[in-house]
Amino acid sequence: MSNKMAVIHLESGCQQLVLNWDETQYDFGDRLCSTDDCIPGTGVYLRHGYIYSSLAGYILRKNEGEELPVISVVRETETQLLPDVGAIVTCKVTSINSRFAKVHILYVGSTPLKDRFRGTIRKEDVRATEKDRVETYKSFRPGDIVLAKVISLGDVQSNYLLTTAENELGVVVAHSEAGAQMVPVSWCEMQCPRTHAKEFRKVARVQPEYLLA
Amino acid sequence: MPVDTKRVRGPEVSQSPSLFLCKTAANKSFTQKDARVDGRQRGQVDVRSVFVRCGLISQAKGSAYIEAGNTKLICCVYGPREMERKDETDMKSGRLMTDMRFAPFSCRERGSWIQGSDEKDLSLMLLESLRPGVCLHKYPRSQIEVNVMVLENDGSVLAHAVTCASMALADAGIEMYDLVLGCSIRQESATYLIDPTYLEENGCNLASGSGDNFGSLTVAFLPSLNQISGLQSDGEMGEDILTGGVRTCIEGCFKLYPVIQQALTKAVRRKAPPSES
Repeated sequence: MSNKMAVIHLESGCQQLVLNWDETQYDFGDRLCSTDDCIPGTGVYLRHGYIYSSLAGYILRKNEGEELPVISVVRETETQLLPDVGAIVTCKVTSINSRFAKVHILYVGSTPLKDRFRGTIRKEDVRATEKDRVETYKSFRPGDIVLAKVISLGDVQSNYLLTTAENELGVVVAHSEAGAQMVPVSWCEMQCPRTHAKEFRKVARVQPEYLLA
Repeated sequence: MPVDTKRVRGPEVSQSPSLFLCKTAANKSFTQKDARVDGRQRGQVDVRSVFVRCGLISQAKGSAYIEAGNTKLICCVYGPREMERKDETDMKSGRLMTDMRFAPFSCRERGSWIQGSDEKDLSLMLLESLRPGVCLHKYPRSQIEVNVMVLENDGSVLAHAVTCASMALADAGIEMYDLVLGCSIRQESATYLIDPTYLEENGCNLASGSGDNFGSLTVAFLPSLNQISGLQSDGEMGEDILTGGVRTCIEGCFKLYPVIQQALTKAVRRKAPPSES
């Protein structure tokens, strides 16, 4: 007896509605599939060599060029992402200190987070060269939007640890003391269009394809 | 000498009037008849039919409402959120926080808004029943909050709270190994009453003297994995009666399972209609 509630077949990509937690008890005998047929993606878990769904949503089977298709269960509402080690996040600086800068993580990749997580950028993680001669006051200011990468989930006392020690990471949007949005001049300076004053920031070199024309 | 003007005390030989209340209603209907008050049978797995609906509360990440007979419960789930108190736990897995409250108008006597000790007990039991079902390792450094509110208490509140909470978790998109369903049973010497109402749960203490095998049992069960995550029992029951009761509760959970699945399917379809890609 099949326990898939309603099967909606569409031509390409064959999306089906499956209800979570397929049983694989002896009476019902259904599960998503075994690990010989598919590779597990997101929203599923492995147990005794079989793949079970862990979400209530739609099955997505994708053939990604490897021998086996990748099976995952998705909900159309935005998948709740948590900042993971190695992810590029967009954050806003809330306070700075001589040793670190505290930020609120707003976006993970390109998905916005519903709740703000807190992160820390230590002085030695601001840039890759001359780490000991960094001044946080000349790298970030409160209110700046910064692209950073997560290096650690942190331990009990600390928040997420982030780094901007790459060319593509750093400040992307900053406002000058006069209040206007500044234009980057070099990797360490930004200029205000109104007063033409230059201010020090650790500027990110954004890839051209991410800039809107 | 200061005089107490605020209290009016009766004469010293007075007695409380509640001692003289005749408890007619409780004793009457619990003689050993075959049918229960609401028409269900004793000794058979006859759970009350449930009405469940997900996704009622727009502000919460996920929510569910369950009605079984007159018992009405609503549950909301928030999260994963950043963990507030970063003490004791390691950061590799998330934390589940449960909170179960009775609305003041839910029971026969008006309750208070402050959480009493039995509400704290029930919250703890709810936490123990739900935790094995949720994939907490996928949410490091976060906490997931589950809040259950009982709107009307007509018996087997913990069992329905477990079911309602796991539906709300599913509605919120929290990854789980399996749904957790709850069922409770009231044992009366020879027969049992599954999914008891409030009167059946509490009224039997005075009936038919013989103190053998009187008790109640609540089981939280994961149907596909065939595992029990929560067990709560009250009263005195023999060992085989107890194991028989657990098996009966498991059967009751299986009866509920298709209804819950259908409600979840409808909720998923409503939230996100299948895309035509």
